[in-house]
Amino acid sequence: MIDFEYVRATDLSSALRAGAAPATRFIAGGTNIVDLMKLNVERPAHLVDINGLGRADPSLSAIGELPDGGLRIGALARMRDVAWDARVRERFPVVSQALLLAASGQLRNMASIGGNLLQRTRCPYFRDTAMPCNKRDPGSGCSAIVGINRTEAILGTSSHCIATYPGDLGVALVALGATIGVRAPGAGADRALPFADLHVLPGTHPERETVLRPGELITAVVLPAIAAAKRSMYLKVRDRASYAFALASAAVALDLEGTMIRDARVALGGIATKPWRSHEAERALIGRSATQAAFRAAANAALADARPHRDNGFKVELAKRTLVRALTEVSA
Amino acid sequence: MRSLLAPERSAIAPGDVAPDFAITSRTGVRHRLSDFRGSPVVVTFHGAYWDPASAEHIETYNRLIASLGGVAGARLLQIGGDGPWRDLTFTDESLALPVVDSSDQEIGERYGTRDEPAVFVIDTAGIVRWAQIGAGALANPVDLARAISVVAAPFPDVSTHDRRTRGRQDEQTHNTGWTRRDFVATTLAAAFALALRPIEARAERLAAPLARERTHTTRPVTLNVNGKGVQLDLEPRVTLLDALREYAGLTGSKKGCDHGQCGACTVHIDGRRELSCLTFAIMQEGKRIRTIEGLASGDQLHPMQQAFITHDGFQCGYCTSGQVMSAVAVLEEPWGPNDDDVREAMSGNLCRCGAYPGIIAAVQEVRRTQASAGGGTRQ
Repeated sequence: MIDFEYVRATDLSSALRAGAAPATRFIAGGTNIVDLMKLNVERPAHLVDINGLGRADPSLSAIGELPDGGLRIGALARMRDVAWDARVRERFPVVSQALLLAASGQLRNMASIGGNLLQRTRCPYFRDTAMPCNKRDPGSGCSAIVGINRTEAILGTSSHCIATYPGDLGVALVALGATIGVRAPGAGADRALPFADLHVLPGTHPERETVLRPGELITAVVLPAIAAAKRSMYLKVRDRASYAFALASAAVALDLEGTMIRDARVALGGIATKPWRSHEAERALIGRSATQAAFRAAANAALADARPHRDNGFKVELAKRTLVRALTEVSA
Repeated sequence: MRSLLAPERSAIAPGDVAPDFAITSRTGVRHRLSDFRGSPVVVTFHGAYWDPASAEHIETYNRLIASLGGVAGARLLQIGGDGPWRDLTFTDESLALPVVDSSDQEIGERYGTRDEPAVFVIDTAGIVRWAQIGAGALANPVDLARAISVVAAPFPDVSTHDRRTRGRQDEQTHNTGWTRRDFVATTLAAAFALALRPIEARAERLAAPLARERTHTTRPVTLNVNGKGVQLDLEPRVTLLDALREYAGLTGSKKGCDHGQCGACTVHIDGRRELSCLTFAIMQEGKRIRTIEGLASGDQLHPMQQAFITHDGFQCGYCTSGQVMSAVAVLEEPWGPNDDDVREAMSGNLCRCGAYPGIIAAVQEVRRTQASAGGGTRQ
C-alpha cells in the first residue's frame, strides 16, 4: 500500500472541498477501499475520513420518518443499523433482507450505506494487478471475457467489461425506485437523484461506474412509500449458504388485489453490470393473475437479452428460477 | 506488473558472483557484502507491496532459524525501531543492519528483481548458490532451509534430508570436525535480511503532482485498548490489526487473510465486532477497542472462552480469538435462538479445522446461560 495523507473531516462542506482534490477518496467504513488499497488497485494520495460528519449533522447517520410513510436513511448509517431497524423490517422487508444477506456480521457493523452503494463493481481480474483489466487500467484489455468468467455478468455487459455489480442493497433500492441525496462541493443543499440513475453501464469506459463527480457525496437514501413495499423480499442464491456474493438474486415487491397483480417491482442482482431493474418483467406481471405461468413469463422477459459467456451460461436459468421462486414466495 | 518489468532485466542465477553493495549498521559501522565472505549469507528482497501486513514472513524465517537450532539468543531479524520497514535488526543487536548506502531500487535491479520478493543464498566464497525471484511470495521455508544447509555444510552432498534419513551415518560427519550445531551456527552468525523498499520511488511516480503534499512521517496516535491508553507512532496506512500486533504487542488478534474474509482479526470497537484488518488505526482514535486480551477478568476466563474449551470449539486455535470475540458480540445482536441463527451470525469467522459443531455448542451454551440469568452480559 502506498503512503497517503489522512484528513479527518468534521463538517460536510469542508469534507466536500477536501474530497474534490485530485487523487482523493472518501473513507467511511473502509471495508471496500482498504481491501483494494492493500492490493494496490486503489492508490489514493489523500483519504478524507467522513465518519465524524454525523456529529455535526446527526441526520447524516440517522434513520428518519418522512410524512408520506417513507424513510430517509442517512448515508453514514451502518448496514447493521438499517438491517435491524423495526420500521425498515416492517415497511421495506426487501431492504432489511438484502442487507442481512450481504457480507458478514463484522462487515455490516463497519460498512456505511453510502459506501455500500458505491462499492466497486469488480471481478477477480480487477483485483489482480498482474492481469489486464479495462476497469483498473483503461485500455489494457479484459481478462474475464476470454478467461474464467463463471461469476461475471450476463446483462449490461460490453466488449470492454463484464464485471458483476456485487451489491445486494442496490438491487433492493432499484426495485423500490428509491432516490438518493447527493451533495456537491460548494452546493448549499442536496440534489435528489433517482438511484436507478446513479450507476452507469460499462460501455467503453468501465473505469467509470457512477455519475458522481469528484468530491460529491451521497448524503441519504430515501425509501419511497409504495404500496408494494410491504409485500417484498430479497432472494439470494450463492455458492455458500452465507457470506458470499450472489450468483443470482431477485428483489421483488408485489401489490396484490386478491390474486390480481396491481403493481410489481422486479430487480435482479449477481447477473448484471449494475443494479438491474426489469421493467420488462414488471410489464409481464402487472394486470395479470399471480400464477406460475405469469411468473415464468416475467422471468423469460427479464432474461431475454442475456448474453452469457463461456462459463456463466448457467446463470440464465438460475436467474429465472430465482425470480420465479421469489415471486412465488412473496405472493403466497 | 507487466509494465514494471524491464525488458533488459537479467536475473542473478546460481553460479554468479553476488553483486556487492555497502551497508551501514545502526551504530554507524560500514560493511560491504563482501566482508561477510567466509560465512554463508541470505539476502531477501521484499516486493514493492511488502508492508507490515506481510510480517508473517519474518515470523516464518524466525521459526526456521529456531527450528534449525540457531545461535543462542539470536533471531534472524525483527521489526523494531522507528519505522516498520527500514530498521530490521537482530534481537541481540549484533548486526543492526540494513541502512543501505545505494538505493534499494538500484540493488534490486543488480540482483534482477523489481517489486518482487526474492531470496538469494550466498556461499562462503560469495557465490550465489540458490536463488528464487518472484513467484509471488518469499521462499518456501523448506526450500530455504535446504539451501542454507547445503551451502553451510562442508560436504555439499549432505543435505538435511540426507542427514535425517541416514541416521547413524551422521556420526561419521563428526569425524570431519563438523557437527550440526557448528554448521548451523556458522550459517546464522552472518545471516541477515535486507528489506527492499522501492515503494518510495513507486509511490512518487504514481502521485508525482502531489508529492509535496504526501507525508512520509509517522504521527502520534492514541488508542484506547482494553481500557488503557496506548500511544503509538504510526503511518496513516497502518491498519488497526498491525498497530495492535506489531506496535502495541497485542498478538492475540490474528492475521488470517488480511482482507476481511476470514474474521481472525475480529475485535470490538465501541462494543461492536469489527475487522481490525480493514480499518486504519488512525481512524480509531477516541473509540473503545477491546481485544481478546481484554476479555478475561484476571485469571477468570470470560464465559465464552470457557465454553470454547468445554466444547472443543477449536483445533489449531488460529481462528479462535476472532471466533470468541465475534461470538461475544453476536449475543448482543438481535439474532434468533436456533443453531442455524448462530451459523448465519457467525458466518464471517472461518475455521479451517472445521471446529464448527463445537463453536456452535459453545455459543449456544453461553446464550442459554445468559438467558436463564435474565440476560445481561459482560460487555
